[in-house]
Amino acid sequence: MTRAPSLTLNQLGLRYPAHGSAAGVVALQNITASFPAGSFTALVGPSGCGKSSLLRVLAGLQAPTQGDMSAVTQSDIGFVFQEPTLLAWRNVYDNVALPLKIANRKSRLSAQEIDVRVSEALTLVGLEARAKALPSELSGGMKMRVSLARALAKRPPILLMDEPFAALDELTRFRLDDDLRAIWQQQKPTILFVTHSVTEAAYLAQRALVMRAGEIKSEIAIARPASQNQPDNFRAAPSFHAACAAISEALAQGERA
Amino acid sequence: MGAVLQKLIPLAVGIALLGIWELSVHLIQVPIFVLPPPSAIGHALVDNFTTLMGSLWVTVRITAMAFFWAVVSGLALAIVFTRARLLEMALYPYVVTLQVTPVVAIAPLILIWVGFDHVDRALVIIAWIVAFFPMLTNAVQGLRSTQPQLHDVMSLAGARWWQRLYYLELPAALPSMLTGAKISGGLALIGAVVAEFVAGSGASTGLAWRIIEAGNRLEIATLFAALALLSALGIALFYALTLLEWLVLRRWHDSFAKTR
Repeated sequence: MTRAPSLTLNQLGLRYPAHGSAAGVVALQNITASFPAGSFTALVGPSGCGKSSLLRVLAGLQAPTQGDMSAVTQSDIGFVFQEPTLLAWRNVYDNVALPLKIANRKSRLSAQEIDVRVSEALTLVGLEARAKALPSELSGGMKMRVSLARALAKRPPILLMDEPFAALDELTRFRLDDDLRAIWQQQKPTILFVTHSVTEAAYLAQRALVMRAGEIKSEIAIARPASQNQPDNFRAAPSFHAACAAISEALAQGERA
Repeated sequence: MGAVLQKLIPLAVGIALLGIWELSVHLIQVPIFVLPPPSAIGHALVDNFTTLMGSLWVTVRITAMAFFWAVVSGLALAIVFTRARLLEMALYPYVVTLQVTPVVAIAPLILIWVGFDHVDRALVIIAWIVAFFPMLTNAVQGLRSTQPQLHDVMSLAGARWWQRLYYLELPAALPSMLTGAKISGGLALIGAVVAEFVAGSGASTGLAWRIIEAGNRLEIATLFAALALLSALGIALFYALTLLEWLVLRRWHDSFAKTR
């Protein structure tokens, strides 16, 4: 994995044009934040607070209408959407390999190197045995793993994840959360993880940014002693409950304000 | 058992209907130049086998050419339309005009323009006009209805327009394109028959001309034999395209989910 660049945002803002309103709809405003290389940040907030918009701006899928951010190229970014977004007619292997094939105009990877990367990513998400399966033959959780593998195969220094596990049942979600943490510990990409779930944010990340009405309202550091890095251990720890309480409190403050 | 029955029932109905037809014609003593019995049609088919097969081949050739060009031009124009909105705005009204103008009305003009020494070419053009519109509209709709998030995946990979087209839009549009092709296939045959009718005597030797000729001579059994061949050709074309659809889509498309 290439060394992750740190990501800084300065007074970032985004407005969508809207009928009947000259100013448009504000999706993001005054976003100033920095994401150190190799950090794991959760973005938490109610629906429509701008979490997904922020991720889309960071990924270069949408241009900000205000402010600036450190220059990152799309090749540095792996993106996992809320839906698996797989091509139904390509098997698991070909779905994971597609971005590498497309980017090959610039990156000039050999076919062998692409194969190594795809196989490695599939092993990381535990799907090496299903490489030839079509998406329609997989469960929801497996499809999400393929989507994760597709992002990982690029070996991106920055991983943006937009509520990737929101549609899954809780058990599957717990398992994928653990897998994601293991991958992060092993490869140390910079991760921004959007979620609705307070517990998921507290379990996964080093810090949580709470958003409301297009702004970052508070930042909560999550202390996780190294002894609690084992899966399940942390969910029972007092520091986990403290983190959950702090995030919930920050969200509730927004409601009251 | 269920599957076998499903195939046997239409066959049994067909045989029964032919039987009733044969019997009633004999019982009521319908003149053979009004309604010949199936047996007479069979005889006509055997007696005129070489001529009819030659005509069938002419019609197959015109239909196939018209269908081929309908698919190629419909798809190419759909790609242009989905890439350049301005061109679509500029050209679409004329495409619609071509579609809604009765082809019989413009056929003589096409014959004159192409020249009577290239009648086959004129027939293909007339059949093409009839066939190409459904291919175009279905392909446009298919190319346009790709999920926006899949386009995001392509953007993140840094895809150029032709990579987007090749890896995402064309495969995603396949179901619509095959539906378009199925309609166009049927219309190509109808177009070929209409074209032959319009081209008139001496100009064409396809099945439609055999029908006109047999009608003029009151050889109604031969007329029915040619008609049966036309129907068989249409059915074969439809099922060939249905088979193609099944082969291409069965593994991944939702419409085949139950048969997987």
